[in-house]
Amino acid sequence: MLHRLPLLLAGLLWVGTALTRAESPPPSVESDGLYMFVRLNTPDQMAAFYEARGFPRSAVDRLRQTCFVMAHVENRGGKVIWLELKNWHFLTTQGEVRHLDLSYWKHIWDEIGLPQANRSTFGWTQLPGERDLQPGEPVGGNVILPATDGPFTLQADFLTGEDRRAGMIRARFENLRCAKDKPAP
Amino acid sequence: MKPRLLLLLCCLVLPGSAWSADAPPLPPGVMKADGTPAPALRLNSIDGKPYDLSGSRGHWVFVHFWASWCGPCKREMPTIQRMITRLQPGQIEFVMVNTAETEDQVFTFLAAVAPDVTPLMDTQGLVTEQWQPRGLPASFLVDPQGRIRYQALGGREWDTAPYLDFLRHIEAE
Repeated sequence: MLHRLPLLLAGLLWVGTALTRAESPPPSVESDGLYMFVRLNTPDQMAAFYEARGFPRSAVDRLRQTCFVMAHVENRGGKVIWLELKNWHFLTTQGEVRHLDLSYWKHIWDEIGLPQANRSTFGWTQLPGERDLQPGEPVGGNVILPATDGPFTLQADFLTGEDRRAGMIRARFENLRCAKDKPAP
Repeated sequence: MKPRLLLLLCCLVLPGSAWSADAPPLPPGVMKADGTPAPALRLNSIDGKPYDLSGSRGHWVFVHFWASWCGPCKREMPTIQRMITRLQPGQIEFVMVNTAETEDQVFTFLAAVAPDVTPLMDTQGLVTEQWQPRGLPASFLVDPQGRIRYQALGGREWDTAPYLDFLRHIEAE
């Protein structure tokens, strides 16, 4: 019986580690009424999502070559918070990386003739470029970057107040990495 | 003097009539809109029946945009179904618009979360874009004159007291 105990303990430990890894919360920031978290999704995850919505292979292949940052931003305070992607900076050791915005994707979708329904779905899955987040309002969506190997920092600045003059909130996420697919077994 | 007093009272009452002092407070996440006319909404239901919002003058209409892939939509839809059953039949018309999905996707989703809801199919997503929701899900309240009077921000718990009281109140206006 005793010789089974270490095996049992090792098994429990492994399960615990796996659960911890699976359930570890995404990095988040809560400051001055702003709540935000980011999650980096793998190409396989994003491909599965868009394939299930009928996206053609040519579109999914283009999306696979990029880096998906899923962001959730929520106004938990009492004044307007301005989500403006022009004030989000993705900083690598080589410099700043600009996100691939909807005008970039329109060009790609025109090139491959993506059907209108897919374009609509794609648009609604992206984080809006600009939004006045009212008190209590959440917003979520993807920000797509060119694929990059090294770590990067997301520094997101939010102006506040109806007229954008009630101060700024900064959310900073360091040591992010584009998620990679697991190698095939 | 009396006619003047009456006129003055009318002026005091009329501006407040859109949201009177004894009204319940606006529920969380619901904000007033500027009363612009609602965009056109002519779509077929998943059963193939045509619908035109312009034929719904004379009563309030709850217009809701959603998609099965959206997490908040999944959480919100059952609350909408329960809200519909808790309001008096005919109090408010409910118009549920699916954005850019296929009948199979919509049918599978609704069977699991809200089997009594019959959606309209915006198969190309173009009607949704005309309404310019702030995201999905999105809900608009269109008044009996066809103007957008309120908008809900994100997913809401529509079957809870603040929302039910609010909807009962505007319907009784």
